[in-house]
Amino acid sequence: MDPREEAKRQKELLLQTAGILPTELVVAQGEELFNRKGPSGKTMAECDFGLGKGVLEGAAARLPRYFLDTNRVEDLDSRILTCMTRVQGFKPEQIKRSEVVAIAFYIASKSTGHRIQVRLLFPEERELYALGEKLFYARTGARDVGCATCHVTYVGRRAGVLPYADVLGKDKSWTHWPAYRYSNDQIWTMQDRIRACYGNIAHPQPALYSQPILALELFLAYHANGALVEEWPAFVR
Amino acid sequence: MRKVLVALFALGLAFALAQRYFAEEELKRVAAGGKAYAEVFANQRPDQALCSLHRNRLPADLLPQFLEEQRALIKYPASGKLMGDWRKGGAIFNNLQKANCFSCHFGSPVHLGGDVGPSLEKYGLKRGQSEAVQRYTYEVIYNSWAYFPCTVMYRFGAQGLLTPEEIADVVAYLLDPESDFNTKPAVGSR
Repeated sequence: MDPREEAKRQKELLLQTAGILPTELVVAQGEELFNRKGPSGKTMAECDFGLGKGVLEGAAARLPRYFLDTNRVEDLDSRILTCMTRVQGFKPEQIKRSEVVAIAFYIASKSTGHRIQVRLLFPEERELYALGEKLFYARTGARDVGCATCHVTYVGRRAGVLPYADVLGKDKSWTHWPAYRYSNDQIWTMQDRIRACYGNIAHPQPALYSQPILALELFLAYHANGALVEEWPAFVR
Repeated sequence: MRKVLVALFALGLAFALAQRYFAEEELKRVAAGGKAYAEVFANQRPDQALCSLHRNRLPADLLPQFLEEQRALIKYPASGKLMGDWRKGGAIFNNLQKANCFSCHFGSPVHLGGDVGPSLEKYGLKRGQSEAVQRYTYEVIYNSWAYFPCTVMYRFGAQGLLTPEEIADVVAYLLDPESDFNTKPAVGSR
């Protein structure tokens, strides 16, 4: 069975039995966290996710992008971290990954129905994109692995349960994350997904929020430009 | 004389640069990913760099030297025997953590195989056990890039993932007519 059809079926099944989807629960939790006041007394509505202070509608579909205030390219996860530390006054060590993911689910939900619009305007965006492209095609490690070797050369072929997705082409994999993975009951953003890809092929994983992850994300997002976000957070196998 | 030296130096430099895939600046950014992650990229081998640079399709003029270098990496068991113990080979073939052969190749009687690589169903029955077949099978497993430059298949021997003796065991698992691989039906076969 086509994995996408299977996911749809599982989603229906879960909705019938539980009455609510795990994605909806996480989004609700994320909304609460978004409106929670930080040590500075501010909520996350005081933060700019790229379209102006507190504007969430369509914001996630335009990430990653360069932000002048941090002089960095940030994706949704990193921008949430920036908001919590710089605006809300949390200390970095106070921030739980599970909270960042829940907030990412909530903010991403405001981009359902939007199209991916990522640009390479600032030099930093162009440099990170170029690095992402190189990382994507790199062969490294004891297993000579690299993303493209399977996700370009062997698209549609199977090693294990699922066929390799055409992540740069028709599958528009960028639009599948953040997502709930029903097969493993996991709540993941693309950062987690990329780390798991490396882990699956016994390659050391890049740290969360690190430049190589952002570089790969910008590369993937740019290739998905114009693609419709059918549903964020998504529901995948 | 001086011109020749300069030209030689430039040629050498061009060659050295051609072997690099990541620039220093890029490796600095990659380093932000953590020590273990960064090391893998900093230690990228020249052959890996070539495959990366050419996106797994080497230009024809690079092939002869590349193949020769890959062939030179192949070592054989001290005993000289290319077929070892098929039972041990089966344990290696069918272990996800070890060689993970079944994930890409169809034919295992233990696990449903994938289709990234060619089907190996009844490999030994179809090909026989001649010295040439043994050698070919051993060498492809030891260093797939000596036959298929830049292929996805791990270079088990050349990268130290399996010892020569373990590779000989896998060769036996595939070739020995008594092996489960050749006597039992492959999972998923019709």
